[in-house]
Amino acid sequence: MVKNWVFFLVLIAVINKNIYSQNIQILKFDALKQCIYNNSDTVYVVNFFASWCKPCLLEIPEFVTFDKGIKNSKIKLLYVSLDIKNDQEKLLKIVQQYSLQNVYLLDESNANNWINKIDKHWSGAIPATLIVKKGKYKKFIADAISSQTLFKLIK
Amino acid sequence: MKTIKSLSIIWIVLSVICTSAFAQKINKDIVDFKLKNVDGNFVSLISFPDAKGFIIVFTCNHCPFAKLYPPRLNNLNNKFKPLGVPLIAISSTDTMMYEEDTYPNMVIKANEEHFNFPYLFDEMQVVAKNFKAQKTPHAYVIWKENKQWVVKYNGAIDDNGMEPEKVTETYVSNAVNELLTNQPIKTSETKSIGCQIAFRKK
Repeated sequence: MVKNWVFFLVLIAVINKNIYSQNIQILKFDALKQCIYNNSDTVYVVNFFASWCKPCLLEIPEFVTFDKGIKNSKIKLLYVSLDIKNDQEKLLKIVQQYSLQNVYLLDESNANNWINKIDKHWSGAIPATLIVKKGKYKKFIADAISSQTLFKLIK
Repeated sequence: MKTIKSLSIIWIVLSVICTSAFAQKINKDIVDFKLKNVDGNFVSLISFPDAKGFIIVFTCNHCPFAKLYPPRLNNLNNKFKPLGVPLIAISSTDTMMYEEDTYPNMVIKANEEHFNFPYLFDEMQVVAKNFKAQKTPHAYVIWKENKQWVVKYNGAIDDNGMEPEKVTETYVSNAVNELLTNQPIKTSETKSIGCQIAFRKK
């Protein structure tokens, strides 16, 4: 009986670990670029954030609301974390707390190589959000954003 | 012939407009300031009458990216202060938002990290606004030209925050070396990720 319980608990722990490790994918900028500029008719909304950035965390509930509103549509929300790769603990907690989907951690050491490729006016301060429609640049917002504004911008 | 002449006039006018716009972007004039240092004294640019230039770094206590740099800031000041280019660190973060960035915590940080340079408290955020600093860390190299302070470089300190041993481009150091040897600056602006300096709304 005790053995069964131990097995059960181990099983739960393993499943949980898999769920959370699945939730954050580490990727390079080129891979991100290929993913969002792919000429499909999907609209990509890409939120750049980090667990250490307070204004980003205040903004997350807005994205959660937005995400609920775009279910079953051709709009896809991606969270791109700029957290430090070997310090993901806080990020994992946030992903868990808001049950965030499509979370990626950008693995680039020199931001000077990729920031201009997102938007040449972007200084690199976050939060920031990029909207790409049919593989073409649509809008870049270098600030926090509300769910209402997001709904307006994707139209 | 007339067309060529008018075309060349247009070209001259355009090139003048372009260069002046470009020059304005890089050579932004900086106003001197007076801010409280962690030792209780006030520091201005004029406090260093012999300085040829400065390395000004907008940084703070709370930001994980800023936390990666204190040893490198000490090294920069060690290297360039004797050559007439001292380093000054300024914290302009909204302390209402980040308790960690209050003045008493700045004093603690400066002691813990053995800062060998002034660490100034820009409580009213006016200096950050004058520099148009947007995040921490955000470095500037300013140089004295015709009795004016002019921005020569702004952006990242180097190209690898996380792994100092893997740095290949020391942007700030390169810019200062180029200025000291009267060479043109190869890289006058870079982009980096940092913690936004949230300006309080009045």
